[in-house]
Amino acid sequence: MVDPEAPPLLQLHRIRRTFPGVVALDQVSFQLQPGEVHALVGENGAGKSTLINVLSGVLQPDEGQIELLGSPVVLPNPVEARRRGIVAVHQESELFPTLSVAENMALESGLPVNKFGLVRWHQVEAAAANAMSQLGPSWHTDTPAAELSVAHRQMAQVAAAIEQQVRVLILDEPTSSLSRREAEWLFSRVQTLKKAGTGIIYISHRQDEIFHLADRITVLRDGQHIWTRPADQVDSSGLVMAMVGRPIQIERTRSDPERPRVASPELPPRLSVKGLQSGQVDSQPVDLQVAPGEIVGLYGLVGSGRTEFAQTLFGITPAVSGTIAVDGVEHTIRHPRDALAAKIAYVPEDRLREGICRHLTVRANLVLSSLRRWTRHGLASLARERQTSAETVQQLAVRHRSIEQPISQLSGGNQQKIVVGRSLLTAPQMLVLDEPTRGVDVGAKNEIHQILRNLADQGHAILMISSELPEVMAHADRIVVFREGRVSGEFDPATASTSDVAEAAFPAVTNQLLDTTAPKTAARGKLGLRVPVAQWGLACVVLLLACWLWTTTKDFDPWLQLTYATVWVILGLAASSVIIAGGIDISIGSLLALSAACAAFVLRLDYAPTLTIPAAILLATVVGMAGGLTNGALSLVGRVHPIVVTLGTMTIYRGLVIMLLGGRPATGLPPLFPRLAIDPQSGFRGAVLATIVLVCVVHIWLQHTRSGRHIFALGSSPTAARLVGISGKRTWLLAFAAGGGLAGLAGALQLAISGQMQSRLGNGWELGAIAVAVIGGVSIQGGRGSVLGVILGALLLRLVTSAIVRLEIPGEQVDLLTGAMILAAVLCDLGWQYLRPRVRFAWSRRISQ
Amino acid sequence: MNRIDSTTGKLRRGITLAFPVCLLAIGLTLVFSQVQRPAALVEVWLPWTEIGILALTMTAVILCGGIDLSVGSMVALCGVVLGITLQWEWPLAVALAATAACGLCAGAFNGGLVAIGMSPLVATLATMAFYRGLAMTLSGGQRFAGFPDSLRNCQTIAGFPLHFFCFVFIALAIWILIHRTRPGRWCYAIGDNRTAARFAAVPDRRLDLFLYTLNGSAAALVATLHAIDENVAIPDAFRGTELQVIACVVVGGTLITGGEGGVLRTLIGIGIVTHLEIGLRFMSYRFPLLTPNSRLVVIGLLVILVAIWNQRLQRGKAST
Repeated sequence: MVDPEAPPLLQLHRIRRTFPGVVALDQVSFQLQPGEVHALVGENGAGKSTLINVLSGVLQPDEGQIELLGSPVVLPNPVEARRRGIVAVHQESELFPTLSVAENMALESGLPVNKFGLVRWHQVEAAAANAMSQLGPSWHTDTPAAELSVAHRQMAQVAAAIEQQVRVLILDEPTSSLSRREAEWLFSRVQTLKKAGTGIIYISHRQDEIFHLADRITVLRDGQHIWTRPADQVDSSGLVMAMVGRPIQIERTRSDPERPRVASPELPPRLSVKGLQSGQVDSQPVDLQVAPGEIVGLYGLVGSGRTEFAQTLFGITPAVSGTIAVDGVEHTIRHPRDALAAKIAYVPEDRLREGICRHLTVRANLVLSSLRRWTRHGLASLARERQTSAETVQQLAVRHRSIEQPISQLSGGNQQKIVVGRSLLTAPQMLVLDEPTRGVDVGAKNEIHQILRNLADQGHAILMISSELPEVMAHADRIVVFREGRVSGEFDPATASTSDVAEAAFPAVTNQLLDTTAPKTAARGKLGLRVPVAQWGLACVVLLLACWLWTTTKDFDPWLQLTYATVWVILGLAASSVIIAGGIDISIGSLLALSAACAAFVLRLDYAPTLTIPAAILLATVVGMAGGLTNGALSLVGRVHPIVVTLGTMTIYRGLVIMLLGGRPATGLPPLFPRLAIDPQSGFRGAVLATIVLVCVVHIWLQHTRSGRHIFALGSSPTAARLVGISGKRTWLLAFAAGGGLAGLAGALQLAISGQMQSRLGNGWELGAIAVAVIGGVSIQGGRGSVLGVILGALLLRLVTSAIVRLEIPGEQVDLLTGAMILAAVLCDLGWQYLRPRVRFAWSRRISQ
Repeated sequence: MNRIDSTTGKLRRGITLAFPVCLLAIGLTLVFSQVQRPAALVEVWLPWTEIGILALTMTAVILCGGIDLSVGSMVALCGVVLGITLQWEWPLAVALAATAACGLCAGAFNGGLVAIGMSPLVATLATMAFYRGLAMTLSGGQRFAGFPDSLRNCQTIAGFPLHFFCFVFIALAIWILIHRTRPGRWCYAIGDNRTAARFAAVPDRRLDLFLYTLNGSAAALVATLHAIDENVAIPDAFRGTELQVIACVVVGGTLITGGEGGVLRTLIGIGIVTHLEIGLRFMSYRFPLLTPNSRLVVIGLLVILVAIWNQRLQRGKAST
């Protein structure tokens, strides 16, 4: 049992944190004992997330102090918090989708390296295997994280946290997507950690879990600490009352109580939805009716499926089954356009991301959905748009200076009114509003409710989604409660009690037990093997092509082919290292030429070749690196996509080449230099040897060092990389420098193989290099790729070029082939990404049946 | 607070506009201080109206958050199609129709790739190589010369080159499209926030398809104009054109990431790039260092600097 008198493990003193317009945490104090499970409960928006973000270093408190083991600490970032033993497992976890589960676990605490700076993969694997062994036999540590279901991601993170032996573990709704068996596994882990003295902060909406696990319970409401009590002194109804129990101001916005509001034979429903189901995995069929003049409050927690329902209704995620009828007419809605045609309008939940175009003017935002009404003969009329905007803005009492000011200058509430106004201008019969008053100050809140009421009185049907119980209690005519993707209750706010409604929304004991039939596990299957399979296929194609050429061509020299392919291997690696980091560099062709030109300049100096040759190779590498660094730095400074920057630097580097060479080909290199690459007398192939060494080095760097893995991590997910403390800027520059350096080496190699150079050298080669990378399985979105794949890609490109010569097709078709190869490879990748979740969905259905 | 915000906003907009105007002034002075006979300028401007037409349609693509790197290849491909069909002695009208169809298809293919979710940069980078290869393959690397007189006779209308009429027409059409029609309004919304535009029922994919197709058609027009003017179609021509075209758009002050800019800005940008290039070419008689290539370097530098400058100035504060 926990000793409440013992010195606390973690203590928060009067933490205050504000966001523009909102006090998220107001003087909250909190205490955690070692070996204690402390449940944190409250409605959505009560301040729980802010509190755990402050604790885990994501946010900084404005006031107040955090004490760990009695001494004050500052947690400037998640990495520092983790270092001090505070680990949070979030509801929506940030993982590196293209990296293996084992690596994901290891990156959280930094990859372990040996004294040579190489990653100890054995340790990483062993740690992960150890953690996973608790999860069951069906787990493999080499699965890419993207192939895990949400539940498994959370379990993997909990397992990783347990493995790290943390001091404070924060679990944010850990069971929201777990099956009962998985949840029980989690509970047993929590008990183990408790015994080991870890303090656990447990956030959940499920009361049975709270009463089962927690030693103490703290209730937050509106950013304020309500009370902290031992769990055995609290009962269920008391807890719910504390969470939602502020006195609800019954300033109901209802007018005209005589008016019938609920659908009846005399008053057919405006909206009638039957068995509507979206294509998402957890969705359930939903039936719903809304009468004209009625405001239906759709209450439910975040993740209860209410937003998904609304977006299916509006055609953002089209329905797979069910019907939608407006005023008795059935509509097929596959796009928001169809919804507007059916007179359904939607005000989205996330105003900044889905609602407004913030650099555009108030007018442009307002008329965006209803442009057809203000155009005549296909021409838009600014005067009519302005007039309508001015009227709407006045009608909705938007506080603004001018309708031509950018919308970002308005306050949140006024922005929201503009979004509401936009949907009103489409003349809807049915208005769906998703959290219309989130992040809106009190005054604007009341105004928005009044606007909704007036609209209802004009005969509109309104569906108001909210996770604030007082809001729906006060302003809806009928409350429909959503839980786990389906309607779980219907109430009349005039007669129902707050706790009844809350009870229907919060999953409680009995439902939890009933709800565990189908484990929501997705199939891992053999899909994890796809990269090797693709590469085996590629290898087979390369081999077959080589055999065919060998048997049909008289003077086919595999050694020569290999020598010519070396430049493509290195240039392909150059392109890959940048693409893996999530960028792209189209100046590598010019960079190759620039490095070769510099090398040629040094080689033609009048010194001993034993001196000039190493110097030339070194110079080529340095010039390449400098060029790559410039590209990376410019795109960082300007926050511009690297393709724009490198399109410019491509011409600059090419210009430098021409200036260096003075328009003449560089000849007269010391004869030793070409002999190093290919010696016609002894048959010695220095080029191949050097490439093998280089390939090994690059492979070890990318696969076995921290900096190499960080490049993968950055390309896989920049957000997750920031959370685990990888410096995005440094890694980005490193990738560009490495790419440039490799291009420089490719330049030196090309110079050695051909023995001379012209100013056009490498023109358009960047396309070939990108083709090599993409064919070799490097994902154009970043985060995935291998050296072996690039080698195979380069061999394929070289052999295809030879085959063209063999078939006596004119050489002009190389471009055609490179373009087609890039397109085909990217299309395959896109198609795979489209198919993969569907395959997994079908697979998981088969398993659960 | 709001007032200060909007004043600095206006100031920022002012600076982004003043900067290109200054550049234009420099370019114009450079040209007019060198040229002896201003009438000769007409001849020098002609090839730049071709770049200008491409830049005008590209403005719409970039405003919408896209980019098309394959314009140069599309022009070459359309030129080859015109050459081949005329070589086969198809009637002129049919040959022109085939050229237009080729541009439409090439553009629509780009648009289709973007609409199914491919990054516009990668998609058009690949089609840049693909169309170039197609042009080289169809022509066998040969140039086509000696177009029929009926085509050559269109070179001037009422004493003015056909190029100018086309340029003015396209400029007007694109101005109306961007600033006075629904698709134009959609462009800005999509370029600013594609998700929000989709939630506002803007048909973003259809618009992508339309704009890239438009770009392809402009390429077909330019190919025809080029054939009329030069009496030759070269499959290897118009390499690096995409840089000049993007330069015109970006230097005028249209944001490379979309959502802000316009046709007037592109017209200024066309003026800047044209006159800087021509001015530098005049100067190259005295300074041999100013080869065509180093002039391209100047344009490359200009694009990077102006793109970074505008991005920082216009979106620097807003994006945090």
